[in-house]
Formats: sequence, structure tokens, C-alpha cells
Amino acid sequence: MMDKQNLRKADIFSGTVISLFGLWIVSQALKMPMKDSWGGVQNVWYVSPALFPLFVGAMIALLGALLTRTALKSVGILELGRTLTWLWSSDLVRFLGTPTVIRFYAMAVLFSGFVFLNIPRIDFFLCSVLFLVVFISMFHFDDDSLLIKLLLFYLAGTVITFVFFVLEFPKLLEGHITYAGDWLTLAFILAYCMYAWVLIRPTPVMRRKYRTSLILAVIAPFLIGPIFKYLLLVPMPTEGLVVTLMDAIRYWDF
Amino acid sequence: MLFDRIETFFSIIMGIATDPMSIAILFGSVVLGIIFGAMPGLTSTLGVALLTALTYGMDTAMAMICLLAIYVGGTYGGSYAAILINIPGTAAAAATALDGYPLACRGEGGRAIGLTTTASAIGTAISMIFVVSISPIISHFALQFTSFEFFLLAFFGILISGTLTSPDLVIKGWIAGFLGLFLACVGRDLLQFYPRFTFGYSQLDSGVEVVPVLIGAFGIPQIIQVLKDRFQIGETQKLQRIIPEIGTVVRNIPAIIRSALIGVGIGAVPGIGEDIAGWVSYGTAKNTSKHPETFGKGELQGVLASETANNACVGGAQIPLLNLGIPGSPPAAMLLGALMLHGVTPGPMITFEHPTFIMEVAAILLLASCAMWVAGMLLAKQVVKVLRIPTQIFMPIIGMLCIIGSYSLGLNIFNLYLMLPVGIIAYFLTEMGYPIAPLVIGVILGPMADENLRRALMVSQGSFMPVFTRPVALLLFLIIVWTVLSQFQFYKNLKANVLANIFRKKQSPGA
Repeated sequence: MMDKQNLRKADIFSGTVISLFGLWIVSQALKMPMKDSWGGVQNVWYVSPALFPLFVGAMIALLGALLTRTALKSVGILELGRTLTWLWSSDLVRFLGTPTVIRFYAMAVLFSGFVFLNIPRIDFFLCSVLFLVVFISMFHFDDDSLLIKLLLFYLAGTVITFVFFVLEFPKLLEGHITYAGDWLTLAFILAYCMYAWVLIRPTPVMRRKYRTSLILAVIAPFLIGPIFKYLLLVPMPTEGLVVTLMDAIRYWDF
Repeated sequence: MLFDRIETFFSIIMGIATDPMSIAILFGSVVLGIIFGAMPGLTSTLGVALLTALTYGMDTAMAMICLLAIYVGGTYGGSYAAILINIPGTAAAAATALDGYPLACRGEGGRAIGLTTTASAIGTAISMIFVVSISPIISHFALQFTSFEFFLLAFFGILISGTLTSPDLVIKGWIAGFLGLFLACVGRDLLQFYPRFTFGYSQLDSGVEVVPVLIGAFGIPQIIQVLKDRFQIGETQKLQRIIPEIGTVVRNIPAIIRSALIGVGIGAVPGIGEDIAGWVSYGTAKNTSKHPETFGKGELQGVLASETANNACVGGAQIPLLNLGIPGSPPAAMLLGALMLHGVTPGPMITFEHPTFIMEVAAILLLASCAMWVAGMLLAKQVVKVLRIPTQIFMPIIGMLCIIGSYSLGLNIFNLYLMLPVGIIAYFLTEMGYPIAPLVIGVILGPMADENLRRALMVSQGSFMPVFTRPVALLLFLIIVWTVLSQFQFYKNLKANVLANIFRKKQSPGA
């Protein structure tokens, strides 16, 4: 959590955003049937589906406004002006480039890539290994310059994967290569591992961390995944190369 | 009737204790809970959340053993890190660190852990007595409630949770609660099936899934915070032989009972967790002590007070959860989500729909406290080794567990699309001083509040008069009004003026 002075400044903005959000809820609720008929039923105001959202939206708008007012009283107009100036200055850009913020970007990119891009399209085990190998190594190395390099490499790979799926390459390659997306991910994992190895090779401590990251990134999905897949009978979000192989081993289906 | 209940209680205990599978799950979950609690950055709420996914294939009784055991173990496990590295493993153990760490520095770490183990087990066991004895009364009382009372109760739960859990301004706690209520509005409404805030996505028609939202709200901010701030576990103090400290416990029986009562009482208030119970109990112990100056310097009574209360809170949180459907703490909110998944709807009807359910919960709590004591005494030295694992290694794995856990409940990738944004928004809210517990309580109590408000108005033909004519509704309404007003300066000024006037009038006749 931030310190009190900065919290109050942030409250002005969060209070305003929340207040506007509350007003948006109210505006949406007003579009819902209030007294008119819906599904053949003549409404009265107190059974309207709009009643509760109206109440909630109005309360959010009111509380947001109250928060803004309290924060403004505490900070003062002068300080608000200074904060607004800061928001338009190069200091903001400098703040957005601090190691702590970059660490946040790294996590946001990793989670978003995993959830929105990889899980719906790539074999769960492969995308989990990719997620973990990048995530663990980035943070376990505990070196900001390394983190940025690895993040950029991961971003480049993610862009390639994104383009690969947007241009529907898996469909184009269907007759020639099965599980094309999975093979691409496997190549991505190997490339990432090689790149990371090149970066950390000179330092023995880093080499040890690299080994740990790699081992855990492979072991964890292969410990957790089968519990869900074979014990709890949860089908994986996407079943591809590795799941087919595991099914074959599990059911001796050679 | 009473003897029937006692017989049922003991037969349930015997049933669990003689089933090897149940015992294995009980011990396994308690140990897992202790590990979750001991690791700074992981919480019992997250433990319950992640294990919920694994209990999906189990029957309800087994799932409850699993989840309650991890809850009990997790609440206790926080004391390990608090005592040995001066960083509370969970917020519940924050007060324990004040005296636990100085004890460990003096070479009495084993003694302190022995004491927390025994105190935690006693706290859980005492809270179990309250679950059994108070539940029928509350349940009977709640059966008289109409929709107005349920609406006001849900509203009160959100407000009080927002008031007491907010780390900054109280208003932020209320905003978080209302944001949770908004999330609960998403989907087709329960009376007319009108789609609200679904934006044409059919996946949102049934509303937002509670468990992925909870996993996102509690798990993702935790991971981001720990890794962003480069959280490092410090040097661990040496752990000597673990001593049960029965003698110290016996000498402090009144203090233990007082702490347990505080824990149960705070646990029973909706949405307030074990951390507040620990602090209040610690403060009370310090204020009532003959030697308050020894607190903070390795006073055994301080450790005893905080640990008894935070574990007693576990049982206390079950009372509103089981009888009113209102979770008493964040892990209890997760439990509610898990119960719903298993087709059990907590509330006043639970004693009719599942007559032995409350007894089962009480029996599991008792057995979990015994398992925790045994595991604490035998495995403490092994569990402490987990404190050496760097957070950068286990946090990404927890992230993966959050994702597979959210997906497996409903086998729906859309749950992940919901979980991640909720998690990231929850992270920003946490950074800006908004508490997450009221948001979660809002998501859970939203449908109850919405449905009961409209049902109540339907019965009264749009009139709010029953709020003022029904005693319980009026009482709840007055408490809500007081809770809100008491946060404003004008109310505080008015109260001070009134008190000053009364005081002056009392003094003047004699003067």
C-alpha cells in the first residue's frame, strides 16, 4: 500500500473514476424495464431488474464522490495542481520505467499471455511449462537488467505466437503438421532456455538458479496436471501434443 | 433431544476417526494448511481457494474435512514464520510475532511454537462448542426472518465488513463492498431473467462464478505484491525441541477462555477475519495484565492470547456462515463458495435440508484441532524447512494453480477471462488501500440482497413500512444507520456535545 500522502492523491483519481463508474451503472440500469412489460409480464417498479443495480450504482457514485471530496480537502487544490503537473511531466515516464513497475509489467504480460493467448490454443502442459520457465527464471535470477532482456524475448515470442494464430497457420499446416501450435511453443521454450543460458552462463550462482527454474518448471505441471486430468477427471483446457502422449502412456494405446 | 444431538456428534466423530481415507485427508489437509500458513505470502484463504478445486470430485463430507482442515491448519501455520523470522505467515499471526520472535531470539522458539500449537488447538476446540450450542438458537431465530430482514442482514454484513477491514478510510471498505454487489448484479436476474450487464456474452447469463472471482481477488494480488516488492524471507531462528507447554496453558485457563470468546465473537461478525481477532485479543491481554511492560519482549501470554483467538475465530466464522449464509471471514467466504459447488446452501433451512450438517462441521473442527496439535508437535521441524524456499520459486507455481483451479470449477475457459482482470483490479484496489474482503462478501451476498429486497417489496406492495414495524428489521436498520453515521465527523461532534452537556448537567446540581 502507498503512504498516506500519496494515498490521498490517488484517492482523488480513484474516487472520480469510481463515481463515474457508479453513474455508468445507473445509466445502464435506467435502460432496463422499470414499469413496462418484459416477457409478457407487466412490471411494477419494485420488482424491476433495474431496482438493485440502480441502488448499487447510486451508492457507488455517491461514495466515490465523497471519497474525492475527502481527499481533495486533505490534499488541497495546490497539491492537486502539482500532481496534475507531475502526470504530464517526464517524471511519470521515469516512474513507469522503474524496476518495481517493470516487474509488474512482466507479471501482467506473463499472466495475460498464458490466459488469453496460450491456454485456449496450446496444449496445457506445454503452455504451463513455458509460463513457469519464464516466470520462475525471470524473478529467481533477481537481476533487473536480465529481467528486461528476458521479458523482451518473451514478448517477441508471444507476438510471433499471436501472429501465428491470427493468420490461422495451424489450419494451413493441418495436412502437413499436427499440433503445429504446440511444436511452435516447444520451439519457443527451447529458444528461451538457450537465450537465458547464454545470458547467465558466466555466473555460477545464476547457473544454479537456472537449473532450479528449469527443473521446477517441468516438474510442477507434470505433477499437478495429471492430478486434475486423471484423478479428478478434469479435461485440460486444450489437449494437444503432450496430453495425447500422456493418454497413450496411461492407456497403453500404442 | 440434547442426548440425540450428543449421540449424533460422537457417531460422526467415530465415523470419521475410523475411516482411514478421512483420517488421511484430514492430516494431509492440516499439514498442507500449516505449510500454506507458514509460507509468508500464502494465506489460508488462498489455501482453501486452491483446494476447493481439488474437492470437486469428492462427496460433501469429505470436501468439508479437506477444506476445514486446511483452514484450521493455515490459521495456525502463520505462527511459524511469525515466531522464527518475525514475518507473520498470515495476517492472523501478526500479533503473535510481537512476543513470539523475542522468545525465539532468546532460544525459546520451540517453547513458543509448542505453546501456539496447544493454544491454537484449544481455541479451535472451544469455538467448536459454540458452533454446536449457538447454531440451533440462531437458526431458530433466523427462521422468523422475512425478506426484509435478510436484505438488511446482507447489507449489514457488507457495511460492517467494509468498516472493520478497511486499512485506510472506511469509505473505501464500503466502496469495495458495493463493487462486489455490482459484480453480483451481472447475469440474468433471478425474478424475471432479464440480462443485466452481460453485454451479449452468453457465458455471463448465469452471473459471475464466485470461486474464480475469489481465487482472482485473493490469489493474483498476493502473487503480484510479493514478487513486485522483492519480498525476501529473512534468516530463520533456530528451533529447539517442541514442548507442548501444557503447564503454562493450565495456569492461563481464564486468559485462554477470554481469548477464545473474543475469537468466537469476532469470527461471528460478518467478513472480519482472524487477524482482527488476534489483535483484539492481544490488546485485551496486554491491558488486563499486571505487567503490560513485558508484552513485546517475549511474553508467553501475548502469544497465547493471539493464537487462541485467531483459531477460535475459525469456529466463530462458521456460525453466521452455516445459519445465515453470511461468511464470517474471508476463508469462510471461500468455504461458502465450495459448499454451493457441492449443492449445500447454508442458511436457516440447513437444519431441515441437512439435519446433521452443523454437527459434522463441529466434529470436523474438533478432529482438525487434534490433527493440528499432533502434526504441530511431530512435524514442526520439517515444516519449518519450507521457510527456506524462495518466494520467487513457489509464487509462479501458485499462479499456475490459481489458473487451473479456476478453470476446473465449471470447465470453462471464460472463468479465466474473468479471474485475471478481477485479480489485477483487486491488486490496484489493494495498493490504493481498498480492502478485498468486503468486495468478496459483496459478490457472495449480492444475490441474497437483490432477491430479498424485491421479494420483500412485492409482499409489502412497494412499502418500506415493515422495516419500521418489524422489531428485528428495525434493529438491523438502526444498527446500519449507526454504523454509517458513526463514521462521520458531524456525528462525532454531536456525540461529544451531547456527552459534554450531560456531564455538565450532572456536575452543576452538586457544584
